Amino acid sequence: MSEEIRIGVYICHCGTNIAGTVDVEEVAKYASTLPNVVVARNYVFMCSEPGQQMIKDDIKKYNLNRIVVAACSPSLHELTFRNVLKEAGLNPYLFEMANIREHCSWAHIDRRKATEKAKDLVRMAVAKARELEPLEEIKVEVSKKALVIGGGVAGLRAALDLARAGFTVYLVEKRPVLGGHTARIPLIRYLGVRGDDLIRSIVKELVSLPNVKIFTNSEVISLEGGVGGFKAKIRVRPRYVDARCTLCRECEKVCPVKTSNEYEYGIGERKAIYLPYEGCYPSIYIIDPEICTRCGECVKICPVKAVDLDEKERFEEVVVGTVILATGFDPYEPEKGELGYKLSDRVITLFQLQRILDEKGPTKGKLVVNGGVPRSIVFISCVGSMGTSPRAGRYCSRMCCSTIMSSALRIRDILPDSYIYILHKDIRTYGYDEDLYWRSLERGVRFVRYEEMPEVKVSGEKISVIVRDVTIGDYIEIPADLVVLGVGMAQSKYLREVLSVVRVSCGDEGFVKEAHPKLRPVDAASEGIYLAGAVTGPKSVIESVIHGSAAAARASTVLSKDYVFAEPIIAKVDEDLCSGCLICIGMCPYNAISVKQLNDRRVANVNPVLCMGCGTCAAACPSGAMQQQGFKDKQIFAQIKVFSR
Amino acid sequence: MDEEFEPKILMIACNWCSYAAVDLAGTSRMKSPHNIRIIRVMCSGRVDPQFILEAFANGADGVIVAGCRLGDCHYIEGNYKTLRRMTLLKKLLEQLGIEPERFRLEWISSADAKKYVEVATDMVEKLKKLGPLKIRFDELKKVIEEVREIE
Repeated sequence: MSEEIRIGVYICHCGTNIAGTVDVEEVAKYASTLPNVVVARNYVFMCSEPGQQMIKDDIKKYNLNRIVVAACSPSLHELTFRNVLKEAGLNPYLFEMANIREHCSWAHIDRRKATEKAKDLVRMAVAKARELEPLEEIKVEVSKKALVIGGGVAGLRAALDLARAGFTVYLVEKRPVLGGHTARIPLIRYLGVRGDDLIRSIVKELVSLPNVKIFTNSEVISLEGGVGGFKAKIRVRPRYVDARCTLCRECEKVCPVKTSNEYEYGIGERKAIYLPYEGCYPSIYIIDPEICTRCGECVKICPVKAVDLDEKERFEEVVVGTVILATGFDPYEPEKGELGYKLSDRVITLFQLQRILDEKGPTKGKLVVNGGVPRSIVFISCVGSMGTSPRAGRYCSRMCCSTIMSSALRIRDILPDSYIYILHKDIRTYGYDEDLYWRSLERGVRFVRYEEMPEVKVSGEKISVIVRDVTIGDYIEIPADLVVLGVGMAQSKYLREVLSVVRVSCGDEGFVKEAHPKLRPVDAASEGIYLAGAVTGPKSVIESVIHGSAAAARASTVLSKDYVFAEPIIAKVDEDLCSGCLICIGMCPYNAISVKQLNDRRVANVNPVLCMGCGTCAAACPSGAMQQQGFKDKQIFAQIKVFSR
Repeated sequence: MDEEFEPKILMIACNWCSYAAVDLAGTSRMKSPHNIRIIRVMCSGRVDPQFILEAFANGADGVIVAGCRLGDCHYIEGNYKTLRRMTLLKKLLEQLGIEPERFRLEWISSADAKKYVEVATDMVEKLKKLGPLKIRFDELKKVIEEVREIE
């Protein structure tokens, strides 16, 4: 017969977080009456050093072989307590947690009812603990390679840091060139650096390293496996122009097809065969297959025969230990008619203005609107941020206030006689950027605070902005030659596609959610996947660079190891019970189950490396042969049976 | 005087979305009814319909199964399997004489703490009106045996 089950139960006060609402002493007293419970205690902080020591001492003293801690969510401290068991010589999976903080004390006010609920939760945890079995962690060999998805400034920084540390890096960028939005910023505030120069300096070093492989115009189409051994499939879309391209521009001249230029945020046009911008990486022309008519003019004129309209897409497979997701953002796109957008050429976005103000941009830095120099320029902040419209996010986009002011100062330099208005909800020039605000005030930029969104009236060439000025409590009308919408950051329009491949979860603002905002700010909820840059929410260039380095540092903690240990909560077959019906095979989303010949019959067989531990096969098994470790039928039934005592 | 009926509700929640949503509700100090007890599984796809029957047989007045939003499943498509299984189960529960209000399948994203509170509040309100589960499984077994005898 198996050994006697001896359970220790520990009720945490979490200071007053739990003890303030739940009568912890009563819960502990109650726990001590439950079957197999040898000792039940309550303590102010179970996760603290003395709290952990208490468990270890009790394990020795009372010969405990199951531990239940009633405290916070297992997402916070399950690992902490498992390690306590390990250090005390017990199998770490003989541990169960009852969540009496997030699910109980923080959610309720009534002390009586919260205490009763805590008792129920403890009883359920003890019931499961009775059925727990020791499990062995799965040892996975770490592939010393990383996959970085997204070649903007955050992804580039992460890739460079990892490559410098000696790991092989595969960098996959969806667009034909690296650099993302950063490469289109004319001047990064107080660094005095152009965005494209910053990108070039990183890319220059990156391409010089032998352990880096860059895929542009490519996307990751599948990602299988887990930390230590992800298998990724990359689709490399054809460029139709190869590296022989000398940038002679002859093809661009003869190409008959035009479209608006997304690299200038729609200011000006580009051809179907085009170079995204001067000095981009890779500096090779590309054909846009969406609009190309395959007329063949470019093929005929190319002097070095670099154009091949029949180039096919190809696929590459890589195995990596970690994945860094750095897919960035897209600017908020106002609807047609929203604040006059797309009703007049005189209403533009902040991103478009930045391109216009760029000396290397489409207007060579000249601010000309409809052939004339604007005299009255009105900026409207918080477009698409701060809940200013039903479609807008509730968040602050962090970079718009500062970008509006640095643009206003630039306009003040080139057009000293202009009238510049900034209509703002709040001013959030945090940190060093506060200087931009003071300089703007000193140089006569007029600030008007609004609470209700201003209205932009477009009638032919005449535009006026009507705003209720909070300080005077009345509406004013400002005639404008140019209206700049300070659009914020929204999630990347490709994010949905990415999320169907990389399994990470999103917050309600649509950005990817980190595992914990303070404790694990660059970790995704899934082991081995890290997040860099604006994929988790609005960030400035500088913040994105910091974030990229942080993600690389976190990824190194896996890559520097030879092995990682995966949670053994995977499916397992009881071959004696398995009838070989193989219903489970069709259930598995990872193709982890196969048929195994066992003497004269066939049984299901689980590949422990491929199994991710969802348990859907276990739910489908008619004979109960397939069981998910740690979530076995008998363990869950034990919880259900005692749930209402 | 009789105390107000307090329904007992079991919720089986997936680790990645709905369990995290309940965590978030707590962290945000949103107040929710105390009637709900949660069992955590990794994926709603782990939920065997038998769990729900067992819950009703063991004193549950209501059961909620909650997973990630469709398309957002951490395990690619586990919640679609849940959807299929639970759709069939709903029919079975009806046959057994268990009112449809007593069982809910909900998709709650990890950020949607508000939805959890709404679902929980609504369910408790409805079950208070409905009263305790009338049919007990021991009675049900008796009925089945009686039917057999008649045959």
